[in-house]
Amino acid sequence: MVKEIERCGIPVVHMCTVVPISLTVGANRIIPTVAIPHPLGNPNLTPADEKHLRRGLVERALKALQTEVHVQTVFEK
Amino acid sequence: MDLENQARIKKFAEEFGAENLIVILGGAEAEAAGLAAETVSAGDPTYAGPLAGVSLGLAVYHVVEDEIKSECDAAVYEEQIGMMEMVLDVDAIKAEVSSIRKQYSKF
Amino acid sequence: MKKIRVVHYINQFYGQIGGEDKADIAPILKEGFVGPGMQINNLLQERGEIVATVICGDNYFNENLDEATETILEMIGQFNPDVVIAGPSFNAGRYGMACGAVCKAVSEKFNIPTVTGMYIESPGVDGYRKYTYIVDTANSAVGMRTALPAMVKLSLKLIDGVELGDPKEEGYIARGVRRNYFHAERGSKRAVDMLIAKMNNQPYVTEYPMPTFDRVAPNAQILDMSKATIALVTSGGIVPKGNPDHIESSSASKFGKYDIEGVTDLTDKTYETAHGGYDPIYANIDADRVLPVDVLRELEAEGVIGKLHRYFYTTVGNGTSVANAKKFAAAIGKELVEAKVDAVILTST
Repeated sequence: MVKEIERCGIPVVHMCTVVPISLTVGANRIIPTVAIPHPLGNPNLTPADEKHLRRGLVERALKALQTEVHVQTVFEK
Repeated sequence: MDLENQARIKKFAEEFGAENLIVILGGAEAEAAGLAAETVSAGDPTYAGPLAGVSLGLAVYHVVEDEIKSECDAAVYEEQIGMMEMVLDVDAIKAEVSSIRKQYSKF
Repeated sequence: MKKIRVVHYINQFYGQIGGEDKADIAPILKEGFVGPGMQINNLLQERGEIVATVICGDNYFNENLDEATETILEMIGQFNPDVVIAGPSFNAGRYGMACGAVCKAVSEKFNIPTVTGMYIESPGVDGYRKYTYIVDTANSAVGMRTALPAMVKLSLKLIDGVELGDPKEEGYIARGVRRNYFHAERGSKRAVDMLIAKMNNQPYVTEYPMPTFDRVAPNAQILDMSKATIALVTSGGIVPKGNPDHIESSSASKFGKYDIEGVTDLTDKTYETAHGGYDPIYANIDADRVLPVDVLRELEAEGVIGKLHRYFYTTVGNGTSVANAKKFAAAIGKELVEAKVDAVILTST
């Protein structure tokens, strides 16, 4: 899905937990996330901390969208 | 067939005796119904559950089969099953389940 | 003849520990066979036996690749196997990745043959086909009864050092390995024969299939995020509570488009997940954990992004065919282009 949307000309950032799958399917901008059943959350944290974590990941995604890339790139930070 | 149901059926077979138990299936597709039928007669063909390698040989039928339909009150059957009878591939389901029963059921 | 020692790797479900709720278990070692190992053992007959089974949760493995692999290698090493068999995992994504990774690690560390079984669309195939032997299976456990004999047969051939024939004959997925051999007819004659067949519109079989590189070049980055419209798309199956369009929990036949105008937070009363391939409990309590609407609304209010697109798109990635996923995404992409969306955040589980 990531590739097809990218093919339409829109930059896409893939937020997912199993990075090897994202690489295999051809995502160009990748953000590794927390866990499979809650990629953008962590039920072990307080709601406030969880939201903070989520925001951090989304901000990194936005950064990736503003970064020039030529090959598949995983944004760890 | 999911693990919990496999466990329940295994327990009932032990409790009541396999010869005193019959299983009636309601699955909507022939292939899935066939797998469930095989699970309670020959053993779980996916080897995922408690009936893996356990051949209970139970008598198993699908609710659309004549043997079961003929035992039911016609009006109740029509009300509960009538609609599904029209949309399901009844012939395929009957063929699949009866074939499994002929091969593996002991009762 | 010495009995062949086999170690079998399976996940928490086939290991009879539990379903999605137990996908986070760390590796467990058991002596003898468990689950499908029973039938593998039967098929091996006197030639071999499963001496141990390693069971690991699919989420645990994929979320802790290095530690899990190390622990599993240590467990396997204790039993000194002649071959390791993993799965079969059929169409499963996480399980397929785990089987592939375990086989690769084992063959690299112990230099013994490894065999697994997957459906061709499993991500484990592309990732690991070169490093192990993946038997070509059906897309669900319905294929267990044909997969196991094929896997055992291939394992025995590998141990016996029998030269393997064409992947299709042996029943495994081509690894892309090229081997030279002498053909009865000269290459030049074969090429001309092929050309004549092609020119006469007759069937011919290529001797060298061209690899398909389907990569899309990355699109240019956003220059001014404060003016950009960002759209959310997910394969995690987030839908309005009640799943009004009945998106299937597996093998989705459609995608949904939902209006989030005025929605600043997804709650357990308003949204849920339809995805059947992961434990839904966390997403059902707070769908923002899969589709981060709350955070994007904050960023929108603060002016960090120009706008969160009015609609989000969703489908369920569980077992959905590649062809369908492509179709959905092409349609979604077209709408996003028409709506002048500048960038997309796509979340997956």
